[in-house]
Amino acid sequence: MIRINRRKLALTSAVLAVVAMTASSLPAQAASDPGVTSTSIKLGITVPMTGIASPGYNKIPGAMKAYFDYVNANGGVNGRKITLVIKDDQYIPTTAVAKANELILKDKVFALVGTLGTASTKAISASTQLAKRGIPSLFVNTGFSGFADTKAYPTTFSILPSYYMEAKIMGKFLKDKYADKKLALIYQDDDFGRDALAGFKQAGVTFTTAIPYTSGSQSLPATGAGWISKLKAAGTDVTVLFGVSSASTAALANAYAAGYKTQWVLGSVGGDATTIAASNKAYVPLLYGAKGFSFAPAPTDSTDEYIKLFQSIYSAAQPTQTFDNNVVAGMSNAFLAVQALQATGANLTRAGLMKTIETKGATLASPFLTPLGYSATSHVGATGYWIGTYDPTGALKPDGGKYTVYTTDSGNGPVVESSYKRPAMPAKGLPN
Amino acid sequence: MKISLKKSRVITTVASAALVATAVIGIPSVAQAADPQCATANYITQCAGAGTDGAPYVMVAAANFNGTVFIWSHGIRPAINIPATLAPAGPYTITNAAEPGPGASEGDMSVINSLVAAGYGVAGSGYSRQSINVTEALNANVELIGAFKKKFPTTKKVIAWGKSLGAMHSQKLAETHPELVDGTVLACPAANPSNAMISYFGDALYGFKAYFDPSIKVGGYSTDPVVRQQEQLANIGKVLTVLGKLSAGLTSGAWPDTSSPAGKALEKAGIPSRSALLAVGLMAGIPTRSKHVDGTSGPTGAAETYPLAIAPAVAILENMGTVGVAGSLLLADGELLAGGRVFDNSQTDYAARISSDRDIFSMALSGDSAVNGILAALAATPRETADAAALAKIPGLIGIKGSITKPTVMIAAESDEYTPASIAQWYVDGYGDQFAAAKDAAITAAKTSHDYKAPVNKMVMLWAKTAPKYSKFTAAGSPDLNGPVGAGTGHCYYTSAQWLAAAKMVAGAVSTGKFPNQGPITSAARKVGLSYDKKFRVPTFKSLA
Repeated sequence: MIRINRRKLALTSAVLAVVAMTASSLPAQAASDPGVTSTSIKLGITVPMTGIASPGYNKIPGAMKAYFDYVNANGGVNGRKITLVIKDDQYIPTTAVAKANELILKDKVFALVGTLGTASTKAISASTQLAKRGIPSLFVNTGFSGFADTKAYPTTFSILPSYYMEAKIMGKFLKDKYADKKLALIYQDDDFGRDALAGFKQAGVTFTTAIPYTSGSQSLPATGAGWISKLKAAGTDVTVLFGVSSASTAALANAYAAGYKTQWVLGSVGGDATTIAASNKAYVPLLYGAKGFSFAPAPTDSTDEYIKLFQSIYSAAQPTQTFDNNVVAGMSNAFLAVQALQATGANLTRAGLMKTIETKGATLASPFLTPLGYSATSHVGATGYWIGTYDPTGALKPDGGKYTVYTTDSGNGPVVESSYKRPAMPAKGLPN
Repeated sequence: MKISLKKSRVITTVASAALVATAVIGIPSVAQAADPQCATANYITQCAGAGTDGAPYVMVAAANFNGTVFIWSHGIRPAINIPATLAPAGPYTITNAAEPGPGASEGDMSVINSLVAAGYGVAGSGYSRQSINVTEALNANVELIGAFKKKFPTTKKVIAWGKSLGAMHSQKLAETHPELVDGTVLACPAANPSNAMISYFGDALYGFKAYFDPSIKVGGYSTDPVVRQQEQLANIGKVLTVLGKLSAGLTSGAWPDTSSPAGKALEKAGIPSRSALLAVGLMAGIPTRSKHVDGTSGPTGAAETYPLAIAPAVAILENMGTVGVAGSLLLADGELLAGGRVFDNSQTDYAARISSDRDIFSMALSGDSAVNGILAALAATPRETADAAALAKIPGLIGIKGSITKPTVMIAAESDEYTPASIAQWYVDGYGDQFAAAKDAAITAAKTSHDYKAPVNKMVMLWAKTAPKYSKFTAAGSPDLNGPVGAGTGHCYYTSAQWLAAAKMVAGAVSTGKFPNQGPITSAARKVGLSYDKKFRVPTFKSLA
C-alpha cells in the first residue's frame, strides 16, 4: 500500500510539474471568464444592421471589425486575437435584449461593446442584468448622461460625450454667437431631449419656441411641415435641432420646400450626411452652412494621423464603402477597446478590464480631441466638442480652420476651452 | 427474466390504453377520511376517496408500480361561479374535482398515462376549498400521501408536483413535511415574496381604475359573501369591457367612455389610450410580450415601426385580460381570508417604477411629455392602504420560504403573465444563496475534518424562453390573437414532453440522490424545447427592484 501511494504521489508531482511548466510558457494566462482564452478574446455587439435606424449606424460593426483584424494581423492584444460577433437588433429594444442574451449565453462573449441607442442599452442592462453578472458593456454608443452613473450602471462605460454636455457647450455657443437672436429648439421628447433641456437650462439659454417630437413621428410627412409652420409663425432666427438625422432631414427638406431660412444648429447625432443621403441624396447639400458639433477628428481630415490610419485600414477592408463619421466612430470604439484590453495585461478578466478603465481609462490613447473622463466614480468617455460648419458635401469643417475644443461635465461645471493636447498615436496605431 | 419483461410490456401497453380516458371511480359523498374505493382493471388500480375535510382525491398505480408516486397539486380555480356572459373568464362553475396530474383538467391524459405506464403512481386532490387554499391543500396532500402509502405499501418515494398555485402547495408540503417528500417539480410557480404578487395584481387594477374606469375596485370588497361575489363579477365585467374598448382604440388612440376625468384630460391632450395602457403594464411589471405578441414583428408596411410604437401596448392588452380577472378574484379572496384590505400602494413611487422603461418604450409611450402627463394623472386617484392586521396574516395564508432541500425541478416561462418569471428568479436567487452558504459551511467543516464534502446541487431551473418571433397578423394588419401561442409565453403552457422531461429528471435525482451533470440536463431540456442555462436571468418584481 505504501509503495503504491508513493508511486502515485511521485506521478502526481511529475504531472503537476509539467502543468506548471506548460502554464508558465504560455503567452498569456488563460482566465476563467467566458470569452477569453490564452489565444483569443470574443466581443459582441448588437446594433441596427437593418430597420429604421440602420443607415449609417450599420457601418459601425464593419469598421470595428476592420480595426480588430488589423490588430490581429499585427500580433493581437497580449497575444490574443479578437473576434467580434455582430447581431442585428433592428433598433428594437426587445430584439436587442434577445440578441444580447444570445451574445452572452450562446456565443459566450467576454464583453459587450458598442451597443447602440439609449433604449436598447437600458433594456439590455435591465433585462440581462449585466451588473449583477459582472458583464462589461464597453463604450456604448449613446450620449445619455445616466450611463456614466457608476452606481446605476456599474459595468457600463460610455464613450460619447453626454447630450447634457453637448447642450451646455451648444448653449455657450448660442449665447456667444447669437445673443440678440430669437432662438428655437426642436428636440426629441425622450431621454435625448431630456438631457438636452437640462443642459440648456444649466447653460442659461432661453428658446422662444420649443417643439418636442415623439421619436418616430419625424417620419410622418406632416411632422416636418408642422415644425416649419411653427418656426415661421414665431419668426425665429436660429433653430437648434437636437434629434436624430432623420429629423434633421425632415426639418431641412421642409424648410427648403417652404422657402424658410434660418440658421440651423444641429446636434452631433443629427448631422450625419450618410443617414441623410440614405433618405435622399439631394438633401445632403441642405446641410450647407449649418453649424455642427463633434468630438472626433473630421473624417475628411487626412492630416490627422488617426484618420489617415483608419482610412487606410478601412479602404483595404471595405473598399466599396464611404469613409464617414460612422466609420470613425466604429474604429475609435474598437481602438479604445483594444487599448483597455492591452492595459489590463495578460491576466484578462472582466473585473480586471473594468478596473483598468476606471483607473487608467483617462490616460488611454484615443483618437478623440477631448479628454476622457473615466475614473472610479465616473464612466463618462469623451468630455467635449469642437464646433464647425457643414460644407455642401455634408462634411463638417472646424470653424476657424482648426479644432477648438470645449469641455465640460454633465453637472453644473463650467464650459471651458480645453487645453488638452491629444498624445501622439501609438506606433502604427497598435496597442502599446 | 424474459417472462417478467414481457409481463411488464403487457402491463405498460394495457395501462396506456386503459388510461386514455379519465377513469375516475365514483367519489364518496361522505366527507370523512374513509378508505378509498378502488378497482383494478387491466393491471391498473384506481382509487377515489375523500379527506377528512371532504376533499376528493384520486390515486392510480399499475401492477408494475415502481415505488415512486407523484402527488399532483392543481392550479388555482376560482371560488365563485362565473357566468358565460363574462367570457372568456366564464363560464365557470366551482369544482373540487380531483386531478391526478397535469393535463387532466383539460382532458389530456397523456402525461398521466405515460407515468403510470412507466411504473409510477399518480395521485391528486381536488381540495375542499378553491382560490387561496394553501392550508387546505397542505392538509389534503399530507392525508393523500398517507392514503396512497396505505393502499400501495411498496411506496418508497414521494414526489410533490404542481403548477401555479399548486406549485406553491408542493413547495409548502416539502418545506413543512420534508419527511414526506423526496423531490418536487414546481411549474409556473406562484409565490408572494414581500407581497410582490399582491402588488402585481393591485398595481394593474389601480392603474385601470385611475385611467379607464374609476368604478373599478382594487380593494375594500364587502364582507357580505353575496355582495362580495357580485362585486367581484362586476369588477371582472368592467375590466373586460375596458379591455374591449382599449382594443377598439388601439390605432386611433381613443379612450374608453368610462375613463376617469384624468384619463379624459389625457385624451384631450392627444395622448393615446394605448400609451396609458402600456404605462399601467410597466408600472405593475406585466410582461411586454404575450401569447400572440412577440414585440419584435410588425404587419406588412409597418414591420419596423409597429414593434416600437404599438406592439408593447398590444401585449399588455392581451396579458391584462388574465391579470385583471385574476386580480379581481384573488384580492377579494385575500381580503376575505385576511379580514381586511391587503393591497397597499400608499408609498409606491410609480415614476421610479418606470424610470428605465420610459426610455426603453419611449415611442409606444408617446414620449417624455406624455409619460409625465400619465404619471401626474395618478394624483387624482387616491392610493390604497392595507389593513395592517390583515397584511400580517398574509404570510400565514400564502407564505413559503422558498428554501430547497429536496431535488427540485422548476419550469417557468419567461413571459408568464399570471405568475411572472420573477418568481422563478426569486427561487433561483434564494437557492444560489443557500448553496453558497452550504459551500462555505462545507469548507469550514473541512478545516477540522480535512475531508471536504461538496454540497450537492438540488435545483434544476428549466426556462421556457420566449421565442424571438411568433406574431401573426391578419390581412388587415391587426395582430392575430387567435393563432398558436408563442413558446415561453402564457401561463403554464407546457407540452406533455416537457412535463414528462421534468418528472423523469426529478425522479432520476430522487433515485440516485443527485442530478446528472450539466450536459445531460442541457440535452434533455433542449429536446423538449426548454433551456437549462444557469446564467440566464429575468428581472425581479417591480415592487422588489
